[in-house]
Amino acid sequence: MEASTLGWVANMAASVGLSIAILVLVSLGLSVLFGMMGIINLAHGEFLMFGAFATLAGVRSGLPLPIAMVLATAVVAGFGWVVERALIRHLYGRLADSMLATWGLSLIMSQVAVYVFGPTTQGIPTPGGSLQVGGYSISVYSIVLILAAFALLGMVYAVFTQTRYGVMARAAVQRPQMASAIGIDPRRINALTFMLGAGLAGAAGALLAPMVGVMPTMGEAYIARAFMTVVVGGSGVLTGAAAASTLLGGVENVVSYLSTPFFGQAALLVLAICLVRVMPTGISGRLRRKL
Amino acid sequence: MKSSNSTLRLRLVTCAVVALVCLALGVLMPEFAVMQATSWVLYGLLAVSLTLVWGHGGIFSFGQGAFFGIGAYAYSLAAINFLPVTNETLSSVVVATLAAAMLAVLVGYFIFYGNVGDVYVGIITLAMTLVLFTVLSSTADPKYHIGQAQLGGYNGISGVPPLTLPLGDGGTALTVVQSYALVVLVCALVAAGLYILLQRPFGRVLTALRENELRTQLLAYDVRLRKLIVFATGGAIAGVAGALYAAWAMFISPGVFGLSLAAQVVIWVLVGGRVSFAGAFVGALLVQSVSFALGGGAGDATPIVLGVVLIAVVLFLPVGVVPTLTRYFASRFGSKAAQMKSSQETDSGIQRLKELPFQSHSRGAALTAVGLEKRFGGVRAVQEATIKFEQRGVHCLIGPNGAGKSTFFNLLVGRFPPNRGAIELEGRPITSMKSHDRVRSGLGIKLQVASIFNDLSVRENLWLAAYGRLRNSASADRRSAELIDWLGLEERADDSAGLLSHGQKQWLEIAMVVATEPSVILLDEPTAGMTREETARMAAMVRLLGQAVSVIVVEHDMEFVRALDVPVTVFHQGSVFASGSLDVLRHDERILDIYLGRHGKEHAA
Repeated sequence: MEASTLGWVANMAASVGLSIAILVLVSLGLSVLFGMMGIINLAHGEFLMFGAFATLAGVRSGLPLPIAMVLATAVVAGFGWVVERALIRHLYGRLADSMLATWGLSLIMSQVAVYVFGPTTQGIPTPGGSLQVGGYSISVYSIVLILAAFALLGMVYAVFTQTRYGVMARAAVQRPQMASAIGIDPRRINALTFMLGAGLAGAAGALLAPMVGVMPTMGEAYIARAFMTVVVGGSGVLTGAAAASTLLGGVENVVSYLSTPFFGQAALLVLAICLVRVMPTGISGRLRRKL
Repeated sequence: MKSSNSTLRLRLVTCAVVALVCLALGVLMPEFAVMQATSWVLYGLLAVSLTLVWGHGGIFSFGQGAFFGIGAYAYSLAAINFLPVTNETLSSVVVATLAAAMLAVLVGYFIFYGNVGDVYVGIITLAMTLVLFTVLSSTADPKYHIGQAQLGGYNGISGVPPLTLPLGDGGTALTVVQSYALVVLVCALVAAGLYILLQRPFGRVLTALRENELRTQLLAYDVRLRKLIVFATGGAIAGVAGALYAAWAMFISPGVFGLSLAAQVVIWVLVGGRVSFAGAFVGALLVQSVSFALGGGAGDATPIVLGVVLIAVVLFLPVGVVPTLTRYFASRFGSKAAQMKSSQETDSGIQRLKELPFQSHSRGAALTAVGLEKRFGGVRAVQEATIKFEQRGVHCLIGPNGAGKSTFFNLLVGRFPPNRGAIELEGRPITSMKSHDRVRSGLGIKLQVASIFNDLSVRENLWLAAYGRLRNSASADRRSAELIDWLGLEERADDSAGLLSHGQKQWLEIAMVVATEPSVILLDEPTAGMTREETARMAAMVRLLGQAVSVIVVEHDMEFVRALDVPVTVFHQGSVFASGSLDVLRHDERILDIYLGRHGKEHAA
């Protein structure tokens, strides 16, 4: 194969892979909360924004980037725990109300971010430079993001299959009464799950921070796509998120490449709505997988 | 249902009076106040669209802001292009309304005909709003224009023509007060139209739909179509509001697709109370004027105020602010609360079991299932099920748990399609029909859990059932009266059905099934949760129904099956195992094996 063809292929693969990875990152936390708790967290985008700003603050105060990211994730997870205790636990089983309350939270969070960090776009320099393949340059950080998305998927899988908490959480979501009858405390499980979902949103924000502009409204930019991914994916936490991200991310990227990002976004919406008509319970509903 | 006409008249008169007061205020108020008031009234109209869709249709839509925005954009684009030609912009308002309604039909089709769950409706409509924001924000390039009008990207479209009448040279733009008057008029007409619509049978079906979608469907109503109609109407109303808003502001930007407006619509409705149209206007007026009073639309703090209000309302006042206040004052001044009737156990059910509850044209029909198969993943829940049910008489389906009888029942009901095989009603194939069409073709369905409309009166429950089949309000009135008489529930006809005893609810549901004039009746475990005495009466009732039509009963209770003394089909491992009278089957060793779990060699696997 000629070097330039190889370069083109590598470039396309990285670009499609990046689109998919971003969808996985931004939708995984939402998907965990929806699949495990049946909660739609409308403040998900703001949790993500919080993670990005926490990373930014960490880097500005002199921490190395990876440590700032881990800390940011932990901070957002902790914040998630507080939110669950203060707000969400009153709203289990009241789907519409939990959506409205988290929506209120999202409005407050983004405005508070404006007060604290100002309305302007800020950035962290993207680390890693770029690779040259056959005349195309591929950002190293985008490959890091793709790997990170895989790693997070693997981690969530491990948490739900290998840990005591994970098994209890899966039991609690399948048969809540039975679970509490055998001594699983659903309140503790719910708090932990919400923490996990929030932490994943925070991690997504932390990982995206060096690549995109960090600003108070950045949550809105991702939330629509995250929702679409969860709708198309259904309630299967991993299969849904992974399959829907691949499909939607792939299509968005290819359409954007062939025309403009304007049509890429529009194609994503149209495809998602059409898929919902065919598979109302999402891809994972079709696969009948719960994880 | 007679008193409701006077309620409607009262509402329409109130509507007209309020509109006149608003018009009078418009003349008296200073011009800048009229200007401000116009936008608040339009916000109220937008809130009305959500009240209709959410409060009355039970559709959790976050997309009303988007339809408002589409209406505004469509008006702007149409008016800029049409005004030089037609010298007016009223046609553009119509165009905008249609555009918003069309988008609603399109999105609604995918949502409702895909049977998407309620959560998804919220997410999809919200995501649609956000994507429209992104899409319209990225139209800054001059190549994005429609006719004369530039879309303008993030900055939006300025120089949108105001409302203009085709008078004089180049048309005459309406003054501030005239525009206000027109807006008030449109709102009054929309409100009046909605009051009338909800008074009609459509409105009653909507109430039923909101309360129990499955039962509504099993009374022969196409719920998807009705939801689509409500959603489209809501979209159209939001579209008109948007068009008039763009004409008022003479400017429109993608900001209308932002989360802030979408949230505000919900807040107005939450404050005003979900089901009240008047409340929608009050909510919008209250919230907007308070945030206006807080200083220039509350400035930067607006989102925080909105967020706090959302959370506070959800946590502390889940029914809405205005209804809570009304209730508080009502109980404070002790007006009506004392009238609550206690749920007395008057055991009245079915005294006159001798007479058949059917109308003369009701007749039995044969139902045939041929080679039905249903797979769930790798499991064959039902396979090769072939049964012919006679035109009249009762037939029982029995079998241990997991034998496939419930799946078979659901295939007959039309809950899901079979993977193979056919179902015929009186020789006509119904295999691919939806439940509501099956009911219309003569299938009467009672599910295991009594699913009646708890918040509607006994009379309304029966009326809905009769109307689903008769499609005539007056005959449905007569029919429900007959059935109330048959049930012996005259005393409680106007009580909420939820106040009935467990047994009475079961009888009511049977009467509702009867009201759909079925030729075949499907009953899923009709005696579940019944006392011994009630079970015996149910057996008498089922036998009685069997004299006129074909009755198919899925049952666990062998006592009941024995009491019926009718042909029985035994299901085992998804297929028809044996048929015949219970006496014959009782001597069949294999059936004892199945029921006692004595695994013979042949089903050791």
